[in-house]
Amino acid sequence: MSIPSALPPEKVYRKCDPAEFSFATTEELDGALEITGQERALEAISFSIGMLHDGFNLFALGPNGTGKETAVMHYLDTIAPDAGIPDDWCYVYNFEKPRHPSALQLPPGKACKLSSDMDRMVEALFSVLPTAFSSENYQAQEKIIRETFQDQQSSSIEEIEKRAAKSDIALIRTPAGFAFAPVKNGEVLKPEEFMLLGENERDKIEKEIESLKNAMQSVMAQIPKWQREAQDKIKELNRQIAGFAIRPLFTELTSGFGSIEQVSAYLDKAEKDIIDHFDHFLEKESTRQEFLPGMSAMKGSFFNRYKVNVLVDNGTAKGAPVIIEEKPACQNLLGDIEHLSQMGTLVTDFTLIKPGALHRANGGYLLIDARRLLMEPLAWETLKKALRTRQIRIESLAQLYSLISTVSLDPEPIPLNVKVILLGERMLYYLLSNYDPDFGELFKVEADFEDDLRNTSESRMGYARIVAAVAMEGKLCHFERSAVARIIEHGSRLSGDAEKVSAHMQSIADLVRETDFYARKNNRRYATAEDVQQAIDARIMRASRIRERIREATLRNTILIDTDSEKTCQINGLAVYGLGGLSFGHPGRITARVSIGKGEVLDIEREVEMGGPIHSKGVLILSGFLAARFGIEQPLSLSATLVFEQSYSGVEGDSASSAELYALLSALSETPIRQWLAVTGSVNQHGEIQAIGGVNEKIEGFFDLCRARGLSGKHGVLIPASNIDNLMLRSDVVDAVRQGIFSIYPVRHIDEGIELLTGIPAGEPGRDGLYPEESINGKVSIRLKEMALKMKKYSSESNGNGE
Amino acid sequence: MQERTHSNRKNHEKPGPPEIRSIAVGIDCSPHSLASLKTAADLASRMHAELLGIFVEDINLLRLTELPFCQEIRQYSPAPEKIESTELERMLRSQARQAEASLQREAEIFRVRHSFSVRRGNVPKEVVAAALQADLLVLGRSGRSPTCRKGLGSTARNALSGSLKSILLMHEGYAAENEAVLVLCDGSDASKAALAIAIRMLRPGNTLHILLLPQYEGHEHLLESELSGQLPPGILRVEYHVLPPVSDSRILARYIRMADSGLLVLSDRMNLPAETVHNLINDIDYPILLVRS
Repeated sequence: MSIPSALPPEKVYRKCDPAEFSFATTEELDGALEITGQERALEAISFSIGMLHDGFNLFALGPNGTGKETAVMHYLDTIAPDAGIPDDWCYVYNFEKPRHPSALQLPPGKACKLSSDMDRMVEALFSVLPTAFSSENYQAQEKIIRETFQDQQSSSIEEIEKRAAKSDIALIRTPAGFAFAPVKNGEVLKPEEFMLLGENERDKIEKEIESLKNAMQSVMAQIPKWQREAQDKIKELNRQIAGFAIRPLFTELTSGFGSIEQVSAYLDKAEKDIIDHFDHFLEKESTRQEFLPGMSAMKGSFFNRYKVNVLVDNGTAKGAPVIIEEKPACQNLLGDIEHLSQMGTLVTDFTLIKPGALHRANGGYLLIDARRLLMEPLAWETLKKALRTRQIRIESLAQLYSLISTVSLDPEPIPLNVKVILLGERMLYYLLSNYDPDFGELFKVEADFEDDLRNTSESRMGYARIVAAVAMEGKLCHFERSAVARIIEHGSRLSGDAEKVSAHMQSIADLVRETDFYARKNNRRYATAEDVQQAIDARIMRASRIRERIREATLRNTILIDTDSEKTCQINGLAVYGLGGLSFGHPGRITARVSIGKGEVLDIEREVEMGGPIHSKGVLILSGFLAARFGIEQPLSLSATLVFEQSYSGVEGDSASSAELYALLSALSETPIRQWLAVTGSVNQHGEIQAIGGVNEKIEGFFDLCRARGLSGKHGVLIPASNIDNLMLRSDVVDAVRQGIFSIYPVRHIDEGIELLTGIPAGEPGRDGLYPEESINGKVSIRLKEMALKMKKYSSESNGNGE
Repeated sequence: MQERTHSNRKNHEKPGPPEIRSIAVGIDCSPHSLASLKTAADLASRMHAELLGIFVEDINLLRLTELPFCQEIRQYSPAPEKIESTELERMLRSQARQAEASLQREAEIFRVRHSFSVRRGNVPKEVVAAALQADLLVLGRSGRSPTCRKGLGSTARNALSGSLKSILLMHEGYAAENEAVLVLCDGSDASKAALAIAIRMLRPGNTLHILLLPQYEGHEHLLESELSGQLPPGILRVEYHVLPPVSDSRILARYIRMADSGLLVLSDRMNLPAETVHNLINDIDYPILLVRS
């Protein structure tokens, strides 16, 4: 098997040629933002928005910063202005059931008009009604009714009084009522005078008084009835006067709302209620102060019942509303019923009903961040309920869970017609899909945003437009096309693939802003590629404290990494550390030791539970490789241990499995490995090297260490050949490759790698199935055979002794 | 009725009004009498007079309880009930305390000297007798008697006929500070004295209505000229109303209602027959100040 050649410089970095752009600087671009490379997601958005049936709400999924919200908003901006303007909504007092405020639906702009018209009318009633009730006409009529009652009362009493007077008996007002007594010369007879009268006369007086008392008693019994009749008459008079006074106001008010039946019905009820409660409008000016906003639920604020609480005013809307709810708490979605503290109790009324995002978005579109939604207690359930029932029913959580116990309201639900667009990560989408049975019914459309875009001329131009848009929006300096090209190269690096560019537009936008900082610092009119590089370098430098500490420890030989000699049983593997916003690679020493055993390969990391399952899987795979290659003719009588030296935290991933196999082969063949080479790549049971992630960081990590110690020209890294397309290395690495002082070897099979690492061919089996003795495989085979014999011998001796 | 309005003019010599140094007020705790008390206290304050409160324990009531068949008929009671004298005594004492408390409250508000006396006897007679030492007697138009809703109560009637003092008959709902004053003037000394009192009763900013009763043709001009000289400079709004010669109290009452003023000030010693004046007082449902100089 031939060994692979080191990669040429053009293979380790894909340059973006600035000459492909027709512009000189981004100033020449119009700054219009276009979403490119997300056709699948855009199609899904278009489909969801266009579907008017239930449940076709949208979940835009993808990593944060990939432009989900921008893409959705971009699409909505094109269609929302042409969509119909939804109606206004308001809550009004329910005159029959005050605890259940009524919802009114009005054409756009009419709710505020109704509110202001009602306010004006109530204000007018404070002058209209007092005027009507202080008119001579009313006063005279009321006086007649009262006098009629008093006449009725006094004439009945007077009649009795006159009858009594004929018998010299007086009707006397006592502190609590009336009494009859015989009188003489206007004075009540003294008891002794009465006793001096003849018996017949006394009897006569007593009988007459008895009769008068009965008559008086019957008059007394009639008085409440007369009073009631008088009150009824006055009440009817009041109704007539009030009705007559307010009718013109209501006629004018109603005419402003055409044939809106709901409004007409409400105004009819309001008119009746005002007639019933006209007396409130006759009170003095001081009591009217309560008719002020903010005094809503205060005791005695009677006039609030005539207010109109406008929840949604679309009077100035230019199409369907597009609402982004940044804090999707339950009360922010559904609205809330606020309370006022009054004398230690909480009171409320319909004027304290506050609209939620669903109210504002009704008839349009509502965008919510899925993670924030799920973080808010009960908000997800609340949203689902609203979507399922297609209505907004305001429920106070505190009331629902009896956290407060006070009089509250149950407002009439409002019909809901909204397209909800959730924005979130893929994990959330798949979790909800798997565990929430309602999710699939309510969010039937997924807009899956790509992490990376194909590195095409179209996507590169899209990058240029984003750079221009960010520069224009942020009033930044514009970018030369070479700077744009450098940003595209960085986009490729972010995606970890030379054939692609990152779709994480947030990072690109941040880089544009950071570059602007350095361009201004460098007194540039236009940002250059150097400014971009400076921004990238500065970003790395800011985040690289840990990286520098690890490298320093390595250079001081605190962490033992050999990059010069050849050593048996040990190899330099490559690991990637992800810390905050920076990922960096660093070599780690992997060692293998073998002894006679039962064919086990022991992963020390796994034994101490510092290795993840994928890493353990990789180790077991290489056991399979050894068994298949060397265990057919003889038992594998070895016991091997593998470990990442000086690793004090967990190890995960199988990217070191090829390095572990090389170390094991070195140990078995007792052949030293060149420590100036580092290895990455996973291996399968056939010995094929498979692609891994973070290849750029790993190469750069080893390069940095070697450079610090001095590049001698022999240093290099073995990578899987399938990772060639992922190479977007740093410029200094590319330069070293160009100069031939650092090499990158693409390896397809373990046999290629072991020859590069040892300088000895791996060896292929002859017709007899045996490997050449001087080859690595041959040495391994011989060693394993010796170990098997020793094992056999030891076993037979043990058995003999045993016998 | 002709009407003319004038602004105020220069001060001339005027007939002196009867001096009011003490004001007696009958208090029986009825709404009219409480209104009387308030007005009396207000007057006393403005005239620096002493306020004399009078409460009379009705002898007729006390005698009533001693009669064997005495029973009280109450409005919300199913059957007449016996009145016990001890209970009645207690209730009268309670009313007297209430009357005295009302007097003290008003006296404190208006900061006037005051005294309170409780008498026992025939109410109208006792009130008139008690008022002999006062310059002005203030009474409610009607008191607690059962059938005197429209006309005058027995005490007021008795005071009209039996007292020589000026009498103010008050009406529930009247507030002196908000009301205009209307005075009946026929050029007699008595009517001029009434005008002088009316001026003193008038609050700044309120209108003084003068109903001129000319005694002969053209007399109204002379009368108006004469009276305008009597007005002090502070009165800004004076309205003159000229009435045709009339002696019927009902017609007079109709004219007065048309002017629709608050307090009516007149004298029963003007050129009008005293009977007409008394009938007018009985018929018209306004607070009335009858001036007797």
